[in-house]
Amino acid sequence: MARWTRFRKMFGLEPKGDVDAEIDFHVEMRIRELIEDGEPPERARLLALRRFGDLDRTRQELIVINERRRRHMDRAEFLTELKQDLGYAIRMMRRTPGFTAAALLTLALGVGANSAIFSVVNGVLLQSLPFKDAERLHLVQMLYPDGTRYTSLSAPDFMSVRADARVFEQIEAIDQRNVTMLGAGEPREIDAAFVSGGLFDMLGFKIATGRGFRPEENKPGQSQVVILGHGLWQRVFGGDPGVLGKSITSAGITYTIVGVAAPGAALPEAAEAYFPIEFGPIYDATTAQGRRGEFLTVVARAKADANESALDGDLKRLGTQLQSAFPESNDGLTFTSKPLREFMIGDVRRPLYVLFGAVGFVLLVACVNVANLLLARGSARHGELSVRAAVGAGRGRLIRQLITESMLLGLIGGALGLGIAYWSTQALIAARPADLPRIDDIRLSSTVVIFTLGLSLLTSLIFGLVPALQVTNQHLLLGLQESGRSSGGGGRKMHRLRSTLVVAEMALAVILLTGAGLLIRSFIALTQVDPGFQPGGAITLRVTLQGAEYANGDQIRNRVDQLITRVRELPQVTAVGVGSILPLGGLGALNDFAVEGAPPPPPEVNQEIAVAGASPDYFKAIGAPLLRGRMFSDLDQPKSPPVVLLNEAAAKKWFPNQDPIGRKVLSSSPIPKEVVGIVGDVLQRTPGEPAVAQMFAPYAQRTGRTIRLIVRTNGDPMAMASAVREQVRALDPNLPLAEATPLADVVSRSVARPRFYTSLLTLFAAVALILSATGIFGVMSYSVAQQSKEIGIRMALGARAADVLRSVLGRAVGLADQINRS
Amino acid sequence: MNPPAPEILRGTLDLLILKALSWGPSHGYAVARWIEHATNDALAVGEGTLYPALHRLEERGWITASWGASENNRQAKFYALTRKGRTQLRAQTASWHRYAAAVFAALDAPALD
Repeated sequence: MARWTRFRKMFGLEPKGDVDAEIDFHVEMRIRELIEDGEPPERARLLALRRFGDLDRTRQELIVINERRRRHMDRAEFLTELKQDLGYAIRMMRRTPGFTAAALLTLALGVGANSAIFSVVNGVLLQSLPFKDAERLHLVQMLYPDGTRYTSLSAPDFMSVRADARVFEQIEAIDQRNVTMLGAGEPREIDAAFVSGGLFDMLGFKIATGRGFRPEENKPGQSQVVILGHGLWQRVFGGDPGVLGKSITSAGITYTIVGVAAPGAALPEAAEAYFPIEFGPIYDATTAQGRRGEFLTVVARAKADANESALDGDLKRLGTQLQSAFPESNDGLTFTSKPLREFMIGDVRRPLYVLFGAVGFVLLVACVNVANLLLARGSARHGELSVRAAVGAGRGRLIRQLITESMLLGLIGGALGLGIAYWSTQALIAARPADLPRIDDIRLSSTVVIFTLGLSLLTSLIFGLVPALQVTNQHLLLGLQESGRSSGGGGRKMHRLRSTLVVAEMALAVILLTGAGLLIRSFIALTQVDPGFQPGGAITLRVTLQGAEYANGDQIRNRVDQLITRVRELPQVTAVGVGSILPLGGLGALNDFAVEGAPPPPPEVNQEIAVAGASPDYFKAIGAPLLRGRMFSDLDQPKSPPVVLLNEAAAKKWFPNQDPIGRKVLSSSPIPKEVVGIVGDVLQRTPGEPAVAQMFAPYAQRTGRTIRLIVRTNGDPMAMASAVREQVRALDPNLPLAEATPLADVVSRSVARPRFYTSLLTLFAAVALILSATGIFGVMSYSVAQQSKEIGIRMALGARAADVLRSVLGRAVGLADQINRS
Repeated sequence: MNPPAPEILRGTLDLLILKALSWGPSHGYAVARWIEHATNDALAVGEGTLYPALHRLEERGWITASWGASENNRQAKFYALTRKGRTQLRAQTASWHRYAAAVFAALDAPALD
């Protein structure tokens, strides 16, 4: 068949002519035979035609068969040629390993970085929340008169909103807290979500084994059931399917396991196990009591036709109702709502978009670079292509071969890039950048893969095609002549195009570098902020005192006192402090605040103060200074007069130009507390946010179950960790213990997110710089190679090496100058 | 041609063409002549069926075609058996013999008692 193809092509016979010739020949032979048999020519012709039958139909039939056959052959030929082209492309790639490596690396980096970051953006920002009707879910929040919002509601407020809201179809609550789980291996602390009955249904939360909660299980005395999260079930119960009906114990109550959540099932709040909220006496919409103890996260599904202003209007109406019904607790307070999505995603939107932009730049630089490499190579191959065209390769054939080469490059580069993307997405997830939300939703998505692969293919296609078109447009002889003279053609125009591309990519890289530089500078500034305490030389450990032995405050205080005493006796320990919060650990509780005898402040001034408990040595342990007055002492006991310490910010806010020592303040209780001292401001949230007003009460007067133990030593702090843990274990083996961590960790954790963004952007800028340096190298080395004969002649005529160097450098500086100007 | 010629059976024409080409390449007219001669013109093989059959065999790869000079020095399309065509010829000849023998045997067989 192949022989016939060649034959047909050589004579240029079309199927139609082919068929006609064959039939004519047949008829002619038949006539000749009939004449030989003695028929007169006229009659012979007639007989021959009659014998043939329907000539036209036969012709049509033959043409159809031949057309069909030709199509098949063309396809076979196309595949054969594709195989040839691919083979040739692979040989070309092998023969120019430098070019191949540069192009592939460029594509891989561009595609890889872009896919990885796009996956993060996609997972965190773009994909919908894993809840049913997620766009209709809202978070109900408290709205204070000064415009600040608070995420939690109190139990009675929740019941009031639930009973009276008109714009929501369903309103449910989550009470998320830490509980100690006993009865399954080591005692451990887990994140628990206590939920109202309809929550799972509303969110579409799926149970894998067992059942969900029943409505009656929110009633007091009937809530001793638990549903295990999938992760906890795997970790602690080894995925045992027979776990249903077994029980766990927490805070002295035994809970029967009735279900296991499906993998991936999640609530807006992190939890490892789920319990029904016990609707005790505090869940009462008719009482004023407990209205200012906010701890419920309230999620509601809006009616389909309710827009945001309708939601706010209705919640405001509700708030006003409660203000008049319970003025002593709800004065000035209303409610507002926020889409659940915003609540969960928080303020990462902007940095992620910035990163995305940076990655787009890197991708652009990569594309430009590949374009440049392909253009340079296209010019270098000008001669080769001209020769091939001269010996008979058609224009389409040449273009097809170049496209095949570009596509192969694009495909391999894209595949490598996906490898990089997969690996770096895993690395990003593993790095757990601080508190990036929804990190478990980050996946390498098919959208990303298609987008980036398409982009890399498109780039290599377009810029692989330019030289092909250029070569095939030119007069063949001209190409041959040029190839005899220099290593390539393309001439001045091509060179200008390549220079422009390099200038553009350098400019992009410079932009990225500037951005990275700015971020690095602000990051350094962040790390140099005085935290107000001494992070080094101390360790910290969280202990939660739960269970029957710790039913009341006295029992808890006794145990904490014992703990402090025992740890203080360890060698090298210089101070042992106990507090309810850590520096940079957040604000903790927020309470109202007023100075006794002072005129009531204007309503728009925020009268809130962050409140924490602290033992006498807390400040010594964290290394924060006392500015005036006295620290707490062992004499500040529950029954002794209430005293407080203020931080400097609080003192400045409420006692400008006055001495607060000895003054009485009111906060969350009608009994006035005496200010006994002023301590230095300690950073509370991040180094970027200045300390806000904060008040400390003696731990003895403000006792909590969860304490932060801080141990300062004059030796290696981490060497103390196990000794400290042993002391806790010796006091009560049932206490769940978190790992002891250096206090310095709270500082590095607090800047984890800026550090994450900074290092990513720096990485991108570095990649862009490397890529564009490669681009400059490509253009310069190409132009030098092009001029090698000229340089040779100049040197033969007496030019010194320095002169040549100067001329080459002059061109490079010219490029740089263009970059500066653009 | 006085008693009406029986219609040629499906597939039989292919076999005859292959047989006609088994002595060497020849053009369509020679194939037609050979079939007319070999069957005493008893089978109505019109050119209207012969040429499509030739082209289909070519499409199937059992024969190839090429242009060459005929005995009277005219351009003619010559068909030749391929290796695949030769194999087909052997297989189909054998199966035709078996088929014919079976039909003959049946026609001579007595009634079942």
